[in-house]
Amino acid sequence: MAIAVTEAGMSLEFTLPDAFAGGALDAAGARTLDPAMDNEAFAAFYERSARPLWAYLLRVSSDAALAEDLMQESYVRFLCASGAPSLASDGEAAARLYLFRIATNLLRDHWRRPRAASIEEIPEEFFASRGNAAQTDSQILLGPALAQMKPRERQLLWLAHAEGYSHREIAQVTGLASASIRLLLFRARRKIAALLRTRETARETSRDVSPGRMP
Amino acid sequence: MKLTGCPQEQELRAMIARGEWPLAATAAPELHAHVAACRSCSDLALVATTFQKARAESLAAARPGPAGVLWWRAQLRRRNAVVERISRPLFGAEIFALAVALLAGLGFAVIQAREGVAWLSWPYWHDWFAQVPQNAALHWDNLRASMLADPSWNLAVLLPAFAMLALLGGVAVYLATDRQ
Repeated sequence: MAIAVTEAGMSLEFTLPDAFAGGALDAAGARTLDPAMDNEAFAAFYERSARPLWAYLLRVSSDAALAEDLMQESYVRFLCASGAPSLASDGEAAARLYLFRIATNLLRDHWRRPRAASIEEIPEEFFASRGNAAQTDSQILLGPALAQMKPRERQLLWLAHAEGYSHREIAQVTGLASASIRLLLFRARRKIAALLRTRETARETSRDVSPGRMP
Repeated sequence: MKLTGCPQEQELRAMIARGEWPLAATAAPELHAHVAACRSCSDLALVATTFQKARAESLAAARPGPAGVLWWRAQLRRRNAVVERISRPLFGAEIFALAVALLAGLGFAVIQAREGVAWLSWPYWHDWFAQVPQNAALHWDNLRASMLADPSWNLAVLLPAFAMLALLGGVAVYLATDRQ
């Protein structure tokens, strides 16, 4: 799904062949468009939301290429969706929430396609070996811990603690019942906290016994 | 599992959201002491700060492509969807034309069957050709006269009608399969 990225990306829309250039097509096409969302408005929205969306997809999927593909597809679907919130009337927060919802659905579809019917049934080992993000300090701690979490738990944790979404907003993004978010999040937080502590303890122990760190 | 949240959690959550945790150790020593003792709050502090840090690193590492490419792809997809939507009734019309042609053919065959299908049998044609003089078999006046003399004169209409039906059916089938 990777596409060629060109410097002239912003002007590509003018090269689109105008098949059926009559008014009927444009009128029909415009029905699915937010009238306030022109190329520049979208570019500004994209500039503000692309990085958080990519970070979410990357941390949940542990696959940078997949995150890139799903991010692009999310934006395309967002632009084509007839029920997408309008930036002008509904606000950017609603649009961003909708975008995250599309991305979450795409992730779920991706996991469902080659494997079991439910993403809960996918073994954590499937994700454990796929991490190819830069090994930063937090990644060394968080990466292996996230790898031991279920995809749904990763989603909940990221949306709650990285994006700062409320339970109601997380329910909108994931499609889960708002009432169950609290319990699921509580369990996930407890589980990853234990994993992070274990990981941190192991790291400190290895530092202490490391000959390179002798005074 | 006990789900009653710690009353200090909201305050801690707000401090983390403002980026004041864990920098505010001196500013809020009571809260720090509480977090050290409360499992729920210490979990929240650990998880939230780790995720915030990971988010900041991921945002810095993200290299999103140009928005114009996505805008163009969305336009293309929208146009394809509209073309699909427009061509749907056309396909319905093609199917309708095919169905009408088939029904007309079927109805015609039924009517002919009711009136008797003598013209389909070989003796009929044998007699008919026998009536026409060999040297004027293709002369229109003779042909017309022989047809008018025969009660089954509608043969002159029948053959073109069948040809027309076959032609229409063929066109309908072609149009119906063309889009595939």
